[in-house]
Amino acid sequence: MTELRVNNITKNFGGLQVLHNVTFEVNGAELIGLIGPNGAGKTTLTNILDGALNPTSGTVYLNGRRIDSMPPYEVAKAGLGRTFQVTRAFRRMTVLENLYVPALALHPAARQRDFEDKAMGVLEFLTIDHLRNEYGRALSGGQQKLLELGRLLMLDPDIIILDEPFAGVHPKLMEVIYKYIYKVNEDGKAVIIISHDMDTIFTLSRRLLVLNYGDLIADGDPDVVKNDPVVIEAYLGADDDEELYEDENGENGDTAVTPEEARDG
Amino acid sequence: MNRQWIPRIAGIAAVVLLLIFPFIYGRDDYDFIMHLWITAFFFAILASSWSLLAGYAGQFSFAHMAFMAIGAYTAALYGNYIRILSAPTNLCTEYQIGGRWLVILNPVGVTSSAKDCLEIAKESLPAGTIISQPSIWWGVFGGVLMGGIFGLLVGYLVLRLRSTYLALFTIGFAEILRAAISAEIAITQGQAGLELLPLFPHGITLFGNTYSSTDKLMPYYAMLFLFLLCMAVMLRLTGTRFGLFIRALREDEEAAAALGVNVVRYKVMVFTITAMMAAAAGAVFGHYIGIITPNILIILQMSLVIAMAVIGGLESIVASAIGAIIILFMLELLRNSFDIGPVRVDMTLWRLVFFGAVLMLTLRFRRNGLIAPILDWFNRAGVAEETVAKRQASPTEGSD
Repeated sequence: MTELRVNNITKNFGGLQVLHNVTFEVNGAELIGLIGPNGAGKTTLTNILDGALNPTSGTVYLNGRRIDSMPPYEVAKAGLGRTFQVTRAFRRMTVLENLYVPALALHPAARQRDFEDKAMGVLEFLTIDHLRNEYGRALSGGQQKLLELGRLLMLDPDIIILDEPFAGVHPKLMEVIYKYIYKVNEDGKAVIIISHDMDTIFTLSRRLLVLNYGDLIADGDPDVVKNDPVVIEAYLGADDDEELYEDENGENGDTAVTPEEARDG
Repeated sequence: MNRQWIPRIAGIAAVVLLLIFPFIYGRDDYDFIMHLWITAFFFAILASSWSLLAGYAGQFSFAHMAFMAIGAYTAALYGNYIRILSAPTNLCTEYQIGGRWLVILNPVGVTSSAKDCLEIAKESLPAGTIISQPSIWWGVFGGVLMGGIFGLLVGYLVLRLRSTYLALFTIGFAEILRAAISAEIAITQGQAGLELLPLFPHGITLFGNTYSSTDKLMPYYAMLFLFLLCMAVMLRLTGTRFGLFIRALREDEEAAAALGVNVVRYKVMVFTITAMMAAAAGAVFGHYIGIITPNILIILQMSLVIAMAVIGGLESIVASAIGAIIILFMLELLRNSFDIGPVRVDMTLWRLVFFGAVLMLTLRFRRNGLIAPILDWFNRAGVAEETVAKRQASPTEGSD
C-alpha cells in the first residue's frame, strides 16, 4: 500500500519562508485535493516531494524510503510522478517518443518496441492515439496535458501529483482527465490534485489539504474543510463561503460532463 | 517502394561512391579534389558530432574546436617528445619497458639553438642503439582519450549552465586553451606550430601498388573510415535510449528528470562522446596536414562548424554532415574570381559574403536547415495522412 509521510517540511528562500512545518500522510489509494491561494506554497511543496528542491528542514518518506534528499530521477523511480503547472510535453519529440522516455528510464534493459503496445493502449485511453507519430508541438494545449498524463501512466508511479490538470482545457478533454484520475485511483495509486478549479476539486477529492502562506491550515473531508472559517478567511478574507467553490474563470459553465458523470460513464 | 527507404538506399550508394571515388576520378586536379574530400570528412565529423551535442542534446557549446585541438596537440606532443630507444640515454626522463626505454625529450623551444637531451645523449650512446618513434596511432589514441577526459570535465562543469551561460563558458574554455598553447612556446612552439608526421610515414603498399607518405589516397581512406565510424556510432546511439534521453533533456531537463532520466549522466556522456569524436578528427587531420598552430582554435573556425551544422540541419546528424561537405566544397569551388563588364569580382573575399548570406537566410526562413527538411520529408512519409485517417475513423478523438 502506498505510504507517503511528509514530516515538518520547512522551506526558506533567503528570508522568505515559503513552507512552515508542513506535515501530512498519504495512506493507500487516496484522492486528495491540494488547494491554496496563489503563493501558498503548493508548487514548492510539489517540487520538494519530487526532489527538484531540497527542504530547509523536515523529511519525506515514500513507502519507507527517505526521498527528500534524492534527485528527481530517483524519486520518480521510487514511485512518485508529477505533472507541471505549465505543460511540459517534449515538443520536438513524437507523442510515442514522449511516452517511451519514462518507460525506458524505469526499465534499463528494455527497448522501445517492448512498450509499443502499452503506449498505444495509453494513447487510446487518452483519445490521442491518432497523434502517435506527430511531434508534441503539433498538439493543442489540452492534448499536451493528456500527453503528460500518459507519460505518468508509462512511469507507473505509486503516487501521482497533478499540478493544475484542468487549466485551459476544453470541457471535452476534461472528461478524459476525470476518467484518467478515477482510473489510476482505482488501480491503487494515490492522487494529489492541485487546482484552482474549486467546483471540480471539491467534487473529485475525498480529502482536502489547504495551504496558506506556507502553513497547512486544513486537512480533512472536503465538506468539512469548505465550511472551515479559517479556510474561507484565507481564500476570501471574508466569511462568504458561497464564493469559495464558485467558478473562478467562468469556464465551468461550459463543462459538458461533471466528474461524477465521467466516472459513471 | 516506401518513400522512407529512399534516404537509406541513397546513403548506401553515397558510401559506395565515396569508397571507390579515388579510383574512378582521374582528372588533373585529383590531388586538389582529394584534399577537399579529406577536409570535408574532417569538418563533417565536427559538424555532425556538434549536431549531436547542440542539436540533439541542446548543449550549445563553443568548445568543440577546443576538443579537436586537444586531440591534435596530444598527438603532436606525443610525436615530438616521445621516443623508443634500445639503450638508456641516462640524460632524459626515461622508463624501461621490457628491453627498451621510453624516452621523454625535454622541450627546447623554437628559436633556441640548444639541443634536446637525446641530441646530447647521442654522442655517448652505444654504437648500434636504435632510436625510433613509436606508432603515431598511439598518439591518435592518446588524443581521443585526452579529448574524452576534457569532455568529461567540461560536461561536469557546465551541468547547471544553460543557453547563453553555457556558450560563454565554453568560449572561455576555448580561449584559455588557445592562450595557453600560444604562451607555452617552449613546449608547443606557439604560433610557429608543432609538426606532425604523415599518417603513413613510410608509405604503404596495397595490392602491389606503392603509395608514398605524401599520397592522398591513404589519408582519404583514414578520414573516410573515421567519418563513417563516427556516423555509425552516432546513428546507433540516437536510435537507443541515449538518443531519446538527450533529446528529452534538450526539451526540458526538469521534466525529463521527473520522468526518471538521470540528466547529469546523459549530459556528461554526450559531452564526453562528442569531445572524443572531435579529438579523433583533430588528431588524424593534424597528421594529414603536418602542422598545427593555435589558430585552429580561433572563434571563426568554431563559427564555421556551427554554420555548417545549422545550414545542413542542426537536429539531424546526417544533415549536418551533408551540410558540412557541401559548404566546404562550395567555399573552395567559389574561389574562382570573374569579371562583370569592367568590374573584377574577387571571389576569395566575396565567397565569404555569399556564405554569410546563406547562413542568414537559412536562419530566417529555414531554421531546421536546408537538408534536414528533405530527409524529414522522406522519413516522416505518411505521418500526416495517418493522423487524418485515424482522426476521421475515431468519433471520440481528443481535440481542443
